[in-house]
Amino acid sequence: MNEISSTLGRRGLFKLSGGLVVAFSLFNPADVLAANAKAAAGRPIPGGVPPDAGELSAWLAVHPDNTVTLYTGKVDVGTGAETALAQIAAEELYFPIDRLNVVMGTTSVTVNQGPSYGSRTIRYAGPQIRHAAAAGKAALFELAAKHFKVAAGELSVENGIISVKGARARSISYGKLVDGKKLNIEIGASGKSFDMVVAPQAQLKDPATYTVVGTSVKRKDIPAKMTAEYTYIQDLKVPGMLHGRVVRPYGVGATLLSVDETGLKEIPGFVQVVRRDNFLGVVAETEWGAIQAAQMLGSVLAPQSPTAGQAKWSDWNGLPEQDKIWDTVRAAPGQDVEVSRNGDVDAVLKTAAKTFKATFQTPFQMHGSIGPSCAVVDVKDDRCIIYSGTQMPHEARHVTAKLLGIPADRVELIWYGAPGAYGRNGLDHAIADAAIMSQAVGRPVRVQWMRWDEHGWEPKGPAIVQDLEGAVDADGKVVAWRHHMWLPTSMDTRLIAAALIGKPDVVGSVGMGTPAITYAYQFPNTDVADHAEGKVALLTAWLRSPAQFETTYAMEAFIDEMAAETGQDPLDFRLKHLNDPRAIAVLQAAAKLYGWEKRPARGQRPPAGSGPVTGRGMAWVNRDDARVATIADVTVDPSSGQIQVKRVVVAHDCGLVINPDGLKNQIEGNIIQSISRTLHEEVTFDRAHVTSRDWFGYPILRFSEVPDSIEIVFVNNTPEYPSYGGGEPATCPTAAVISNAVFDAIGVRLRQTPFRPERVKALIA
Amino acid sequence: MAQPMSGKPVTINVNGHDRVIDAPPDSMLLYALRDNLGLRGPKFGCGLSECGACTVIINGNAVHSCITPLSMAEGQKIVTLEGLGTKEHPGKLQQAFIDEQAAQCGYCIGGMIMTAQALLEQNPHPTRDEIKQALDGNLCRCGTHMRIIRAVERAANGAGEK
Repeated sequence: MNEISSTLGRRGLFKLSGGLVVAFSLFNPADVLAANAKAAAGRPIPGGVPPDAGELSAWLAVHPDNTVTLYTGKVDVGTGAETALAQIAAEELYFPIDRLNVVMGTTSVTVNQGPSYGSRTIRYAGPQIRHAAAAGKAALFELAAKHFKVAAGELSVENGIISVKGARARSISYGKLVDGKKLNIEIGASGKSFDMVVAPQAQLKDPATYTVVGTSVKRKDIPAKMTAEYTYIQDLKVPGMLHGRVVRPYGVGATLLSVDETGLKEIPGFVQVVRRDNFLGVVAETEWGAIQAAQMLGSVLAPQSPTAGQAKWSDWNGLPEQDKIWDTVRAAPGQDVEVSRNGDVDAVLKTAAKTFKATFQTPFQMHGSIGPSCAVVDVKDDRCIIYSGTQMPHEARHVTAKLLGIPADRVELIWYGAPGAYGRNGLDHAIADAAIMSQAVGRPVRVQWMRWDEHGWEPKGPAIVQDLEGAVDADGKVVAWRHHMWLPTSMDTRLIAAALIGKPDVVGSVGMGTPAITYAYQFPNTDVADHAEGKVALLTAWLRSPAQFETTYAMEAFIDEMAAETGQDPLDFRLKHLNDPRAIAVLQAAAKLYGWEKRPARGQRPPAGSGPVTGRGMAWVNRDDARVATIADVTVDPSSGQIQVKRVVVAHDCGLVINPDGLKNQIEGNIIQSISRTLHEEVTFDRAHVTSRDWFGYPILRFSEVPDSIEIVFVNNTPEYPSYGGGEPATCPTAAVISNAVFDAIGVRLRQTPFRPERVKALIA
Repeated sequence: MAQPMSGKPVTINVNGHDRVIDAPPDSMLLYALRDNLGLRGPKFGCGLSECGACTVIINGNAVHSCITPLSMAEGQKIVTLEGLGTKEHPGKLQQAFIDEQAAQCGYCIGGMIMTAQALLEQNPHPTRDEIKQALDGNLCRCGTHMRIIRAVERAANGAGEK
């Protein structure tokens, strides 16, 4: 078994245990395999310490075959960030992008640029890489100046070949110039993570001359993904690896009473049970053997009782009732956080011409990766190598060190691509599971969760409840606005396995629900506040546009109600309360692309026996400075309650776009995923555990339900506007858009997601 | 290495080659392909025949390998994503997916391509509705559906409509 054919290696560089950086040809797979095998075999102590961000070699390596490797602590689990960051580097380096490869995430060879979440990669890591690459280009010019014995100003560069101006024969490639040496050049860096400043003195290229940034370069990872040559973490096999499976408690907080191992030894390849307090797992030589063993102990889709499997659990029923979850959320202890307070809302509500009131309820939802979480961990002799696709590799290294009680400088995380996670799903938890099992058996252990482990145990997006009140005066203007949110945490970073081994607080923290909202509306009297809570019911963590998907739904559906009930066009109504030019611009751009005709929402109940009715809806968001306006047409079938989204128009302003097609891919994904979350998705649970443990229990959007078209227009896509993130903002408006369109079509207000047919039908009746 | 896993090896034909698998006959084909043969095209997604990530083609039909016992695959002709082409020489459908940039994370895509491949072998010029119907059992969480549909249309029609 020798299949450590790592993406790391294929991309051109591997740091061997002696600290020597060996560059080899990207185009010679035999070299790569040989180097990988050697590296894997000869790694008694993992490279524990990330490189110094102030050194050029931390960011770039130039190889003799004139390829370049860019190193980044950022990772790409399907967003296209790898290619976009490569574009930024290639641009400043004047280097062909197809010869520039990217190594992501591996903690011994990349700088910690912060986790890859929150639409923060292009925005924060982009400038860091841009500066490092510009410093690299300057360093290469200095080398060339020495080589040709001319001033750097007499040199020009094209595609990684530096020439003396006016003497084309005198030219040299970056590869020849560097001649296999490490770029040990001080470029300077200060600060940490997102706020790190790199190579502040670097002379940047004039954006007006960009030739790579702003073009739809084809994504680097896609061809290999189409031909099964890409190594997902799930595909990785390391020498001596065992397969592990977890056996989770029946009830979330249950105690493990006993484990009957009868029959396990008869399973071909079975190795052993790993039991530590309430943590239970099995390891086997084969994946099938591990699955069989876990099943005997009780890891099945629909467990019948705490004692139905050979592992017996105490009867634990500590979860609140799902039917009353929003009451539970309201009653949970927390801290009030003021978002906006002006004037006197109560006084205005008493005297205003027209007042409004509504409550919005949204359920627990899940990330729902198609690939269940997986990690391979190799713990031996007080050192640990983690193979993982986590979105936060540098953090995971420290967390795992703490969990295992091993110094961080003896822990390395080698990063591999993972299926889309859309936030913090089970990937970090699978590391902990594999680490505990590997520590117990002294061999590398690969843990992949079963589908029911993922659905049942991945951290969820929290259930949220929001109350809104408002008033409109006789001139049709909003004069009072109250928005109270009860937000359980989306930042619980504790680990499932840590809790199960009886050390719930050894790593991570619970966090508090932060008010994920930006108020751009100009209302004279406001009372916007968040009741910030810790954990309520289920373990939660950030899920694409954490809480802002929900707060945008409430805010934009409520303002739509005010427009409709006062007979005003929903676009005009929004515009007259806004003075943010970028918000106004996206709303107008979406309206133009859609062909918006001014009229108030129709909001009529369909006559009995009516066929499908069409309506239109709009909403917008400011998500971490990116502005997105969405307009959609939906049809509602009054007889079935079925909603179908037909046409979607999106105006998107995240400033300068690095890769237009890549961003479109992300926006389309946001739209489809958020339609799914709006129409279908709700985690169900009983008093013991999550009961929506597969795709039937937790359905997501299918091909038959996708819109006919998603049309996208970019706004402010010019260098004057620095790049913000595009990974998640377009998720936010969708629930409000659909809710508003359903009102336009059939005159009912949907104030609770998901908008499943039975709920729509009940409201029509 | 460990003791033999079955005692009665099973022979299957994968991408044109006979392969002898040492695994229990009641184990699922997916694990034989991934773990015994080291293939990566078929993915574990659910193990419940609900998501399609494990799809392979057996005798011309798209099949979920996660619930197909190895014994049932004995002697059958199995095609995986690897059987359609390589990065250097992608198959027509793979090339269409590359041209349309029809992936985000790409974990579901092997199943998408194999399902679409089986469709096109049986119905070389499907309508958009037929494509959607054929792919309705394949789940994509990233929301790449529009591009996947366009990629299949591109392969079917020679050129994709944008």
